[in-house]
Amino acid sequence: MLKGKKFSFIKNDKTFVPLDGWGSKSTPYCTATITTIQPIKEDTMIYAIDSSSIQVAETEEGSLYAVKSGITMAINGCELMHFKIGPVLFYLSEETIRYSTLDHRLTKFVLFDNDLAKRLIRIRVERAIQMELSRQFSKSIILIDGSLKSSIFESKNQSIKNVAENCSLYRNSIIGISKASKLKVLDRVSLPLTKIQGPAYMDIDLIIQSLVRNTIGNNLMVKLGNNSIPVLRADIVTTHGDKDESLGKLLGNDSIIQGYPETLRLAHHISTFTSTETSCLIGHVLSNYDVTEIASEDIRKTLLGSIPV
Amino acid sequence: MKMLSKKDNELLMLAMKTDTASKGDYLLIEDEKVKKKMIAQIYDEEYLSSQSLIEDIVKDEVVTASSTENLHDPLNIGILSRMLRDARMFRAKIRAAIDLSDKLSSDVTWIPSRVYSKVRRLKISELDSLLGRTGVFPIPLGKAGVDNEELEIYAEDLDGKLNIITGRKESGNSHLSKKLVKTLVQHGACVIVFDLNNEYRGIGCKQDGSPSSLADQTIVLEPGNGLTFTLGYCGKAAISNMLKNALDMPAASLREFFRIWDWLENKQTLDIEALGNAINTWNINELVRDALISRHHVIQASRIFDDNGKGDGGFRFENLIAKKCGGLAMIFNLGRVTPVVRRMIVELVLSKLVDLLEKMLIPPVFLFAEEAHLYVRDTYWEDIITRMRHFGIYATFVTNQPDAISDGIYRQVDNIFLFNFTNDIDLDKISKVSLADNDTIRSIVRTLPQRHCLSIGRIVCDLPIVIKIAALEVLTLGETKKFFIK
Repeated sequence: MLKGKKFSFIKNDKTFVPLDGWGSKSTPYCTATITTIQPIKEDTMIYAIDSSSIQVAETEEGSLYAVKSGITMAINGCELMHFKIGPVLFYLSEETIRYSTLDHRLTKFVLFDNDLAKRLIRIRVERAIQMELSRQFSKSIILIDGSLKSSIFESKNQSIKNVAENCSLYRNSIIGISKASKLKVLDRVSLPLTKIQGPAYMDIDLIIQSLVRNTIGNNLMVKLGNNSIPVLRADIVTTHGDKDESLGKLLGNDSIIQGYPETLRLAHHISTFTSTETSCLIGHVLSNYDVTEIASEDIRKTLLGSIPV
Repeated sequence: MKMLSKKDNELLMLAMKTDTASKGDYLLIEDEKVKKKMIAQIYDEEYLSSQSLIEDIVKDEVVTASSTENLHDPLNIGILSRMLRDARMFRAKIRAAIDLSDKLSSDVTWIPSRVYSKVRRLKISELDSLLGRTGVFPIPLGKAGVDNEELEIYAEDLDGKLNIITGRKESGNSHLSKKLVKTLVQHGACVIVFDLNNEYRGIGCKQDGSPSSLADQTIVLEPGNGLTFTLGYCGKAAISNMLKNALDMPAASLREFFRIWDWLENKQTLDIEALGNAINTWNINELVRDALISRHHVIQASRIFDDNGKGDGGFRFENLIAKKCGGLAMIFNLGRVTPVVRRMIVELVLSKLVDLLEKMLIPPVFLFAEEAHLYVRDTYWEDIITRMRHFGIYATFVTNQPDAISDGIYRQVDNIFLFNFTNDIDLDKISKVSLADNDTIRSIVRTLPQRHCLSIGRIVCDLPIVIKIAALEVLTLGETKKFFIK
């Protein structure tokens, strides 16, 4: 069965993409047309947003989380400035969540599952920032890390749809760029794009909408640079549906390095928690909130021993 | 400050930026549970470094270099993060312990608690009182410690001791040497200086050039100008030592010289002129005569000796010392004489001093010798540090070439004043033979600023202390002469 197959091995649960694509067997999916993107040198402000959340501590009643966000701004190929917001602490317990507008079933999920709780906090903080940006500025491009997809964690008046509406109202464009997609079919679909020399995109609306609900805007596979660079999934909402113009302005006003916008890369770096910050957060909690640290152990390490697994 | 770890006699301490301490400072580690105290000295300082901390710093640097940063940090975590980045690790050597009766002890076989120990900087005054470091004749050297406390050593700790002042050039060796000479004279001591650069005469003058309080007690001696001996005063032994060691006179010629000397002495006509005449007329082998004549010419040209013995009787140590009983700096200016004459003077002076000390005609003297390897013969070193100490010549060697002094001397040294050395070879030499441990020497001495020295030995009760040597209120000559003047 395996004889003659091409393998791309998975290491440490990380996504790897074949450097030269999957080969001729991917062509049956490739029916969409490819459109090249021309950089437009018209001054347009690019805002990129990213955020991250971590669990800081656990109590008998709930968990303490921290969230951090980064906003970067660029115009005409130069990064202007960046904002670091946070870290901000959130304590989720039955008592604190009781007064929230969250759905009853969702609160249960959030209290039981730390990953969901982190996601909830991150999405809510991100949406709040996106809402502000989308109504404070006009004729700009807002870059988001990830797809433009409604989430159950959004609040009703700060959803991605509200952000998109604001963008339309203030003539902003919003582009969600995903570094990797769980939809494996997209890797195969994007093969023709890897063969193209310059920046280009292909429409994948039909594929996405048949597989995923709640996405907004146009769904594209884009290649933002020259030569063999990764092809990314991009969801885009523009004022007049002019994807070419928005993508052209993105290329003209942001630095694209290794096929990824520099603003988004910087936003990612400034929004991630470093181990020093995590240590400082623990120190802050211990010294400011009259709490007691109790002895704890790493169950995996205790059970499996000190050999790394 | 918190204790992190201990290995052998070395402690690793964690300190934040607010913990003011630096290399050379002493720490008191007080274990409140067992009521014991330990004294340790910081010898090195480094950042608290981990891979993640370095990655954070690099990341921040790259991010802030690429765009202007604006922060909204409601919990002020950034301040904590910056504190962590500035956290330091002090490496300290355990020097002593303090027992329950507050007495210094060498029992350092216990480990202070990491949890219950309190660490604080020890003031120099506290250290002094623990060591019981007192004396009657203080020598204020300068300041020490982060608090800039006045530090003084005691002349008693230099008395009868062998001292070395060393450091790279222009680091402050001579400055300290002059300070010691000046204070010893003020305390009534008789100090003899072999001055190579004509710089110690400034002790007799204030900064503005006017006479200082030591002007009367500072005597500068140079051949033909105050330094003129008579042959009779020097004696046969001193002259023969000079001929043998400084002028390399062969044994056969030396024997003939003794005969001539005895003849002249019996005739009571012992002077340079008579000696010359006798050599010329003496019935001896012509080669021996040539050897004696050539030496006679050197002696005559040196201007160390009274030509015909009809002068004012020549220089006499005992007379001068008796006259200046309140202290005396006898500065032998060797800067303007040839190396041969230099060696002749040193040979004569040391021989004569030993003779006078043996006869108890003069009190013990402190001898300061700058770059002594240039004029003291190899065999004399051992004499100075072993035999002459018993007669009452207490030497202080000043050099910027530590390898010029042999290991044998270093092993017998009582006090060392170490100024800055950056050269690894010099540091190697010093750290191998010094009274303190290798790590302390290498780390502290390498970073000592100008006029700061690490004092080791009896003067500091064997606990090394970094001292910032105070400025001299007398004229400090000896600066390097320069062509381009700023």
